[in-house]
Amino acid sequence: MSAMAASEVLIDCQSVWKVFGDNARAALRAIADRGLSKTEVLQEFSCVVGVSDASIQVRRGEIFCVMGLSGSGKSTLIRLLNRLIEPSSGRITVKGQDLSGLRGQALRDMRAKHIGMVFQSVALLPHRTVLENAAFGLEVQGVARARRLEVAREALARVGLSDWAGRLPRELSGGMQQRVGLARALAADPEIILMDEPFSALDPLIRRQLQDEFRSLTKELGKSAVFITHDLDEAIRIGDRIAIMRDGVIVQVGTAEEIVLNPADGYVADFVAGISRLHLIKAHSVMYEPAAWARARPEVDVGALPRTHPEADIDALIGMVVGSGQEGVAVVDGGRIVGVVTPRGLLQGVRGTAPADLSVV
Amino acid sequence: MADAAFIEAFDDAVEGGLDWLDDHGGGVFDAIRHALAGVYDGVEWLLLAPPFWAVAALALVAGWRVVGWRFGGLAALGLGLCAAMGLWAETMETLALVVTAMVFALLVSLPLGVLAGYVPAVKRAAEPALDLIQTLPPYLYLLPAIALLGYGPATALAATCIVALPPALRLTALGIGRTPQEFIELGQANGIRPWQMFAKIRLPFAFASIMAGVNQSLMMAFGMVVIAGIVGSGGLGETIYGAIRTLDIATSVDASVAIVVLTIVLDRLTQGLADRGARA
Repeated sequence: MSAMAASEVLIDCQSVWKVFGDNARAALRAIADRGLSKTEVLQEFSCVVGVSDASIQVRRGEIFCVMGLSGSGKSTLIRLLNRLIEPSSGRITVKGQDLSGLRGQALRDMRAKHIGMVFQSVALLPHRTVLENAAFGLEVQGVARARRLEVAREALARVGLSDWAGRLPRELSGGMQQRVGLARALAADPEIILMDEPFSALDPLIRRQLQDEFRSLTKELGKSAVFITHDLDEAIRIGDRIAIMRDGVIVQVGTAEEIVLNPADGYVADFVAGISRLHLIKAHSVMYEPAAWARARPEVDVGALPRTHPEADIDALIGMVVGSGQEGVAVVDGGRIVGVVTPRGLLQGVRGTAPADLSVV
Repeated sequence: MADAAFIEAFDDAVEGGLDWLDDHGGGVFDAIRHALAGVYDGVEWLLLAPPFWAVAALALVAGWRVVGWRFGGLAALGLGLCAAMGLWAETMETLALVVTAMVFALLVSLPLGVLAGYVPAVKRAAEPALDLIQTLPPYLYLLPAIALLGYGPATALAATCIVALPPALRLTALGIGRTPQEFIELGQANGIRPWQMFAKIRLPFAFASIMAGVNQSLMMAFGMVVIAGIVGSGGLGETIYGAIRTLDIATSVDASVAIVVLTIVLDRLTQGLADRGARA
């Protein structure tokens, strides 16, 4: 985490608004002056607030998930990042360049070379082969045919579709089609990939498989991604950090663990209520301070407890406690015991709450 | 009667307008006549220069390649029948009329259709004119055309062009304007240039619609070149018109059969081409 915090910011959104409608400008002013709500803006100006005062930062090498239900503005937000939609106000910088300042060829270059995009509908051109589809981005850039097909072939190999290059998209299953979509985005070798609910239409098993493949591929290639989803499980599986959106507002940004342990409001709390904590919450979040624990349980020798590291998840910890028959597990970091995890603490972790006070250890 | 006076004034204005056009735009209409007649003569020569069996053989091969061997055989047989009825020259004249009229109609309707597909204002402006063309009885175009272009194939061609214009224009505009949003976004997200968006995305998606329009225009053109027999178009239309005047039922039926054969052959061939294009 700390290494990531230090790394460079690739996408920087500052107070970005998007208001749809003919009176967007007036509506925006009224929001600033009178603090109108989304509903009031709709009634008074018949304008729809898509994104409201969003500020996010996506860092190099990070997979940033934006989770929200339909109508939450997540699809609008991702389209602001490559300017398929113009923001009503605010500033979006990608790789240090202000998007609103890019004109004509500069904007085309930015989209063609630095930002790839994968769509929920896949959008494979039906009259072209899989290989030609994968080469589409390079074709648009004017790369010679032989060269672009070679690169597209490599991209297809990455997603395991080498044998399907000569087929038409309709001959492929939904999951395979979305792999082609990913290969098409990767072929142009952009540093940033925008994923607009790419796996939503797939059945659960294929979806999980693609999620894992996408995550490992992105990490292996050192890409950064913004991943839109309406599925919190998916966001947790894929994302290094997650932003939760509701009614155009980014309600909370954090790692899955941070969001589950400290939901920003009741809405987020409701959302995370059904999420399994077993692999999400780590030892460092549920452990007791060793000195305090020693005072509360003087009869137990801390040094004799089984040991683990701070990033061990609850599932692993439960296994250790059950297997060892001991009172708890010592958490060791840098050769020093930094905490103790007890069965009680684990139970609280499973429910998604931080450990309670030690009087009840 | 004020109404009668008004109607009279209106009629005078129409005739005066036509006269004025004839007097002042004579050069323009001469040029139009020469262009139409020139292309027509060329196409007609091309179709009549080879013997009928060569053209029938061509239809056989084209029909076989585009639709299927059975249709190819029927097309060749049908054209042979036209020749057997002694109507080969007329049949080819009619084909030349349709082809010429289509060339000019498509030269106007396809670019305009593309423009209307891109610019809703153009589409809105064209809509009433197209409605008018499609609702007026097609005979109506013959009279002003005679006044301006004289008796002969040029008049028939001009009237046919007008009638054949709307379907191709409408369906081209529809096809170009209805590109699925996700593919527009795909293009934009890849930094596509405007002409690439047209050639690589909008046109392929519009192809089936455009070809349906071309096919419809072709059918309109066939209907019109027969009617245009009245103004001395030549071809089967004039044969039928002559047969009607002399109550020669047998000849009129022969000519009708020839028209049906020609229409079916061209209809199926263009539809077959459209299907192939849509599949490719």
